[in-house]
Amino acid sequence: MKGGKIPTGLFFPENSGERMSESNLIKYVQTTCPYCGVGCTLNLVVKDGKCVGVEAYKRSPVNDGKLCPKGVTCWEHVHSPDRLTAPLIKKNGKFEEASWDEALDLVAKKLKETSDKYGPKGLGFQTSCRTVNEDCYIFQKFARVGFKTNNVDNCARICHGPSVAGLSLSFGSGAATNGFEDALNADFILVWGSNALEAHPLAGRRMVQAKLKGIPIYAVDPRLSTTAKIADKWIQFNPSTHIALANSMMYWIIKAGKHDKKFIEERVNGFDELWEMVQKYAEVEDITGVPTEVVKDMAYKYASAKNAVIIYCLGITELTTGTDNVRSMGNLALLTGNVGRPGVGVNPLRGQNNVQGACDMGAYPNVYSGYQKCEVADIRAKMEKAWGVTGLPDWYGSTLVEQIKQCGDEIKAMYILGLNPVVSYPDSNLVKKQLDKLDFLVVQDIFFTETCNHADVVLPGACFAEKDGTFTSGERRINRVRKAVNPPGKAKEDIHIISELAKKMGLKGFDLPTAKDVWDDMRNCTPNMFGATYEKLEKPESICWPCPTEDHPGTPILHIGKFSTADGKGNLFGIEYRPPAEVADAEYPFTMMTGRLIFHYHTRTQTGRSAALHYEVPDSYVQINNEDAKRLGINQGDKIVITSRRGKTETVARVTDEIGPGVLYMTMHFADGVNNLTNTALDPMSKMPELKHCAVKVEKAGGK
Amino acid sequence: MAAKGDMIYAWTTDSGLAKKAECGGAVTALLKYALENKLVDVVVAVKKGFDLYDAVPVAITDPKDLDQTAGSLHCGTLLMSTFIQKYLDGAKKTKVGVVVKGCDLMGLIELGKRNEVNMDNVLTIGVNCGGSVNPIQGRKMIAEKFGIDPDKVTKEEIDKGQFIIEYDGGHKGIKIDDLEDEGFGRRSNCRRCKYKIPRQADLACGNWGVIGDKAGKATFVEICSDKGADLVNKAVSAKKLETSAADPKGIEIRGKTENAMLKLGEKWRKKEFTAIRDNLWDFINKETSRCIKCYSCIEKCPVCIATPFEGRPESYMVRPGYIPSDPMFHLRRFAHISDSCVNCGQCEELCPVEIPLALISHAIRVEADNGFVPKLGASSYKN
Repeated sequence: MKGGKIPTGLFFPENSGERMSESNLIKYVQTTCPYCGVGCTLNLVVKDGKCVGVEAYKRSPVNDGKLCPKGVTCWEHVHSPDRLTAPLIKKNGKFEEASWDEALDLVAKKLKETSDKYGPKGLGFQTSCRTVNEDCYIFQKFARVGFKTNNVDNCARICHGPSVAGLSLSFGSGAATNGFEDALNADFILVWGSNALEAHPLAGRRMVQAKLKGIPIYAVDPRLSTTAKIADKWIQFNPSTHIALANSMMYWIIKAGKHDKKFIEERVNGFDELWEMVQKYAEVEDITGVPTEVVKDMAYKYASAKNAVIIYCLGITELTTGTDNVRSMGNLALLTGNVGRPGVGVNPLRGQNNVQGACDMGAYPNVYSGYQKCEVADIRAKMEKAWGVTGLPDWYGSTLVEQIKQCGDEIKAMYILGLNPVVSYPDSNLVKKQLDKLDFLVVQDIFFTETCNHADVVLPGACFAEKDGTFTSGERRINRVRKAVNPPGKAKEDIHIISELAKKMGLKGFDLPTAKDVWDDMRNCTPNMFGATYEKLEKPESICWPCPTEDHPGTPILHIGKFSTADGKGNLFGIEYRPPAEVADAEYPFTMMTGRLIFHYHTRTQTGRSAALHYEVPDSYVQINNEDAKRLGINQGDKIVITSRRGKTETVARVTDEIGPGVLYMTMHFADGVNNLTNTALDPMSKMPELKHCAVKVEKAGGK
Repeated sequence: MAAKGDMIYAWTTDSGLAKKAECGGAVTALLKYALENKLVDVVVAVKKGFDLYDAVPVAITDPKDLDQTAGSLHCGTLLMSTFIQKYLDGAKKTKVGVVVKGCDLMGLIELGKRNEVNMDNVLTIGVNCGGSVNPIQGRKMIAEKFGIDPDKVTKEEIDKGQFIIEYDGGHKGIKIDDLEDEGFGRRSNCRRCKYKIPRQADLACGNWGVIGDKAGKATFVEICSDKGADLVNKAVSAKKLETSAADPKGIEIRGKTENAMLKLGEKWRKKEFTAIRDNLWDFINKETSRCIKCYSCIEKCPVCIATPFEGRPESYMVRPGYIPSDPMFHLRRFAHISDSCVNCGQCEELCPVEIPLALISHAIRVEADNGFVPKLGASSYKN
C-alpha cells in the first residue's frame, strides 16, 4: 500500500493495537464527521487501504451513532478519481504538474518577494474552517512567524463571526454557553434564525427529542422551514427584523415584570440603557410583520419558563447588523436570567465541522489561539518567546472580504487553504475579478475547485480521512479525527506542506512531524486549552474547553456563577433597529434570503461526489411564494432568471406557500448561483458581509 | 462422536482462554480451531473498543487474536449480517466463521435467499441472546436507575431476568421488567424478539442450562447441523475442546428459560402492536413525517436492496430533494421488506429523528405471516 503501514486508528486500551491491526481485515477507524458543527462521531470502514463505507459509532454521546445523509455518505469522495494528486504550477495560462520541491520553492520565493517589496500588509492568508485545528494553528503560525502579518482570517468571518464578536461583548466569551443535549433540560426552546433539522441535523434531533418529551418549541423564521414544521409554533416575521422583534419582546417582558430582577441586580450591567431603548418598541408590527399579541405570547412563554434556551444560527448573523442581532439574543437571556446553568443559555449552532476550532486556533486577524489579543504587549511577548521570534505585529489584520477587496491594491499575494471563495463568498463576480488582480495566488485543496482556476500554484492536501488531528464542535467539544488511509498520489498532509514550506524559508519552530506535536505546540501557548491533551481526548465524551490544567475535566456549561467579562458581569445593551444595507425597492422588488439544505455541504466539493446526495439535489432552485409566482406567470419547475445590482443567476422555480410574498430563498451550494447576487456590505463590528439579505428582480427565462 | 441434535457441555482446554471467557470459552476455542486449520479463512466477531459500552466488529485472520473476542457485551448492538455482505463480498470467495446472535443469523439467512451472501461458505456459531442494550441508553440507565457512574462499571450481564453490574465497591442488579416499564433496559425490538436460541446456525451456544460443577465453566452447545457436528468432533480430536453430555436437568432449565423469554417477547408484542392497531395510518404518518432522508434505514437493513441512483427514472411520488420525505418514501420501503423484516432494530436505532421504524415493519411482518404465504417460502426461523 502506498505510503507505508496501515494506520491503527482505533485506540485499544488493552495492548493489542499493532497485532490486531495486522490481522484484522476490516478496520473501523473512529473519527469525526467532516461536515457540520455538531461533530458526530462515526466509523470509517477501511479495507485494503481504502475507505469502503461508514458505520455507526453508537457509543458516541454526541450523536448516539446516528447520522444525517451527509455523514452516512462522507466516505464517497475520499477516493474520487478527480482528487488532486500532484502540485500544479500555472505556466502560460495552463496548469502543469510539478514536483513538491519545485512548487514549494516557487511559493516560498514569491511570498518572500512580496513580503520584501510590500511588507506584511502585502499578503493575505485565508484558512478553511473545514480542516483540522492543527492545520489552522500551523497556518496562522506560519503567517505570523514567516511574514509578521496579522492578515490571517478564516471563514467564520462570513458565518458566526458576529457570534464571536457579539457574545464576547454580552458574556465575555464568544462561544455557545451550553451543549446540544442540554436543550433537553430546558422548559422552553426558542429557535431563532436556525433550520437546525437541515443544517445541524443531530442537534435538530435534540429538538425532536424535546418535542417527544413535551418541551414547547417556538421557531422564528421568515419561512416555514423543516425545523419550523416540527416546532409547536412558527413565528413568521419579515426578513432581518430581529432587533425590532427582540426589543419588542423585552419591552413586554419588563412591562409585565417578568424579567429576572435578582439575576440582573447581581450579575448584569446595563438594564437602564436597555429599558430606555425598548420602550420605543412596544408596537412594531409594521417593521416585523408579527402581531403584538403573538410577540407577547412568545415573550411571556420565554420569560416565564423555569429554564429557557435560545438556539440560533446564521439567520441572525449573516447581516450588516449581525453583531447587534447576536447581542439582542444575549439581551433576552440576561434579562430573564437564562445563562449559567443546565437547560438555559444562548447557543449559536456553529456551521462547519471546525469553524469553532479555526477561531480557537487564532486563525484570526486580531487574536492568537485561545483568543489572546495581539494588541496586548505581554501576550505578544509570550508568543514571541514560545515561537522563538521577535517583532510579532500588534495591528488588527485585514478580514476575509476586506482582503478580497484589497487584492491588487494593498494585498499582492494570497495563500488560501481549503476555501472556495469564488462560490461561497458574496458577489462572485467581484471575487473572480479581484483574485485575478493578485501577483501570486496559492490555493491548497483536495479537489480542483472553481477558485483553483485563478491560482498560480495549486497544492494537493489531505482530506479528513487522511490525517490525524482534532475538530472543535459548536459545543466547544474537541473531537479526535483519526487517519484511516493515505492521501492519493503525491498529495500530502497539510501540516507537512506548511512545515516544509516554512523550513524552505528558514523558519524555526516548524519541526512538528505529527498532529500531536502541532497540538502540543498550540497547548503550550494557550492557557484555556492547556489541559486538553490527546490522551484526555481519547474518551468518547472528550473535553469541552476551557480546560486549563491536566486534571481539569473540561467545561460543558459556561458562565456558572460568573461571566467571562473583566468585571464578571453580563452586559445588556440598548440596540436600535436598522434595516439591511440594501432593501427591496421599485427596481429590485424582491428580497433574496440564502441558506442551506441537508443534502449538501457548502460548495458541494465533497457532497456533489456522493451518489445519494447528488441524486437528491443535483441543481439549484429558488423558493418563490405562490401568489408572486401566479402574478408573474411562473409555474412549478419553470426556468427563471434572478438579477441583482451585482449579477444574475438562472435557476428553477419551486412554488410554495412556505415563504411570504416578496421574499425568495435560495441555497448557497451552487456555482454561478445565489452568490452572483449577494451583497458585500459589511457589519461594521464584525466585518460580516450581508449574505442573507439583498434586493433582486425576477423574470421567466427567455423573456418576460 | 457428536451428531446433529446432540446437546453437550463444552469447554476450552486452554487455561488462559478459560480465564478470559465468560462460560467455558467453547465458542472462541471452536473458532480458533476452525481458523488454525483453515476450515475458515477469516473469523468475524466482536471485541471491546474503548470500554464495555463500545462493541467493535473485527474480521480476524490470526487465531491468536481471537482471545480478545471472548466474553459478551450486552451493550453491543451491532448487526453482523450486512458486515459480511458489504465488506467480505458476501462470503462468495472467502470462507467465513462468524458468531451470530439471532438477528445476525436471520439477516444472513435472508441475504442468503437473495444470493447476497453465500451461506455455504459461512460457518455460523450461534449464541443465545436475551436482548441487548443501546450503549448511550445503558449508560443513562446505570447513572439514573442504579445511581452509579457508568465509567466505574467493570462488568455487566443479564441473568435470571436482571441487569446486573459490578463496579469498584460492589454489585447491583435490577429486574429487567422494572427497568423496561420505565423506558430503560433492552432495545424495543429486542423486547419483542422471539428468536432466542438460534437453531438455524451450525451450533447454538450459551450458558443457559449449564448446572452442577460445570456451572460458569462450560458452554452449553446444541449441535444443529452436520457441519457443526463435524467441527466439534475435529476440535475434540485435536484436544482443543473437551465435552460431556449436557445434564438433562440443565436441558430442562434451558428450555424453561427459553420459554420464559418467548412469553416475554409475546407480552411486548401484544402490548405494542395493540397500541397502534386502531390509529395505525395516523401513527405511521405522524412518525414518518419527521424523516430527513438520512438513508440509514435503507443502507443498514439486511433485507433492503436499493437500486443504484444513477439512471433512476423519474418518480412521481418520491420527489428527490424534498424534506420531510414524501410519504411513499416510507411506504415503498415497508412494502419492499414486508415479508422479510427480521426485527433486528438497526433502522430504529439509527434513525436520527426517532421514528419507530422497527415497530412498524416488524408488525407488518408478523401480521403478514399470520395471513399470507411468504413469497420466498416460509422462513427456517420463527420470529
